[in-house]
Amino acid sequence: MDYFAGVDIGSTMTKVVIVGQEVIASVVRVTRPEQRRLAYFTVNEALRKANLSFEELTYVVATGYGRINVPFADRQLTEISCHARGVASLVPEARTIIDIGGQDCKGIKVAGGKVVGFVMNDKCAAGTGRFLELTASTLGVRVEDIGELALTSRNPVEISSTCTVFAQQEVVSKLAEGVALNDILAGLHQAIASRILSLVNRLGIEPEVVVTGGGAKNIGLVRALERKLGFPIALPPDPLLSGALGAALLGRDLVERARREGSLPTRQERRLEEVKFFA
Amino acid sequence: MPSRKQCFVGVDVGSAFSKVVVMLDGEVASSQTVSSGGDYRLTARRATERALANLSLSPDDVTALVATGYGASSVPEARVASDVTCLARGAFYLFPSVRTLIDVGDMLTRVIKLDDEGRAVSFLTSGKCAGGSGRVLKIVAHVLQVGLEEVGELSLLSRNPVNFNTGCAVFAETEAVSRVAEGASKEDVLAGLHRALAAQIQSLVDRVGLEEKCLIVGGGARDIGLVKSLEESLGLRLLVPEEPQVVAALGAALLARERVRQKVGR
Repeated sequence: MDYFAGVDIGSTMTKVVIVGQEVIASVVRVTRPEQRRLAYFTVNEALRKANLSFEELTYVVATGYGRINVPFADRQLTEISCHARGVASLVPEARTIIDIGGQDCKGIKVAGGKVVGFVMNDKCAAGTGRFLELTASTLGVRVEDIGELALTSRNPVEISSTCTVFAQQEVVSKLAEGVALNDILAGLHQAIASRILSLVNRLGIEPEVVVTGGGAKNIGLVRALERKLGFPIALPPDPLLSGALGAALLGRDLVERARREGSLPTRQERRLEEVKFFA
Repeated sequence: MPSRKQCFVGVDVGSAFSKVVVMLDGEVASSQTVSSGGDYRLTARRATERALANLSLSPDDVTALVATGYGASSVPEARVASDVTCLARGAFYLFPSVRTLIDVGDMLTRVIKLDDEGRAVSFLTSGKCAGGSGRVLKIVAHVLQVGLEEVGELSLLSRNPVNFNTGCAVFAETEAVSRVAEGASKEDVLAGLHRALAAQIQSLVDRVGLEEKCLIVGGGARDIGLVKSLEESLGLRLLVPEEPQVVAALGAALLARERVRQKVGR
């Protein structure tokens, strides 16, 4: 039996998925500055859960913004291809993927299982998880709760800024005017949904639309996106994991292809060992 | 009793600071700069009263008052003039040779082109993004635990400015934290930020079209690091007024005077 690991080091969350025939273990941890140590610990944790040793992994693929910090990976692949692969396995009819990460937002267009286009915003915090986190902290609520709260609004207030800094300032002045928290949140979610769609629209949005990343866990944002799109969005069961899952599956694809062609996949000399930075 | 002097007041209610300039007849007689706080109405009134009190005057002595800035509508019963008009008027009064005016404010950076008579003929603003404005300096200074007044001098000490990958104020904060964690000095982080900001401002200047002389005003003009970075990227010397923050308020006071004159003229 072959096992494959996908390691997705995002700006905010680090994700590991191990697959055999199907997913057998997954771990999600907050990304910390020492990414190499974190990669080591997170993979070990996933291996323990899967009851496997590192040597039993046939192939390891790293992806995400911190992918170069996985020295024990056989291959580094971009998050674009990994997300597309992961989503294809979960929602085969997906044509447009919107990945709302901690510090960026991506649109990926897929046709016939191939990536045919992508757009990305990693230059501005608007439309990323950071916007949602700062909003939650300005309002003194947990980021996990803001989506639900936004859905209780009957009278969303208009937020004119999409700039994260200015939107927070607008929030403070709306609060001072006595506007209800849920109405402010609803307005913020609408503003951010517009921002995200104006980015992804450059690709031409086609259903099925799948939202992944931490943003997919915010139901208020998903509903705001659906309202603007005019049709429902598909959500994977575990939206944080689609990149890591895709990485593991791409590793499996590579090995299978290599075997079909009668060669062995090129693998690096690799060992899983703890990296010490402050020795 | 000598005939009483005419008193013209310009009030500029900015998102960070409120500025008041009082002119007696044709001369600038008093100015005030105070933090805007949350209550613009109260701030504007207090700052105006204080600027007048310095001259032993009261609000009843005011001949005409013009308000401008983000919170101009919070000044009761004032005529409101646009920021661009006031900035152009104030700048041209101080430096008749000015043809390009750069205003680096808390929420906005503006670049205004003036004609030979000091009229604003075109302008651009940094828009709805904190990245190109003075706000990013405030945010990063806070992260580095440096006072805003120290930012400029510290930046000039840098030998190896860090490279900022982003113009976004939020991501700049994160980048500053990461660079410091990697061992970069505060000086190098600030100098890098000044370069990034100067590049953003320069792209606005390029779109408006640079014509000398070029004047920088607003709170950003008090940051010597930013001024030097901008001079480097524009390739010229910038004019800097002694009190760069009150230029729009000065312009408002000048407009108040002109309006009264026009009425009398009729």
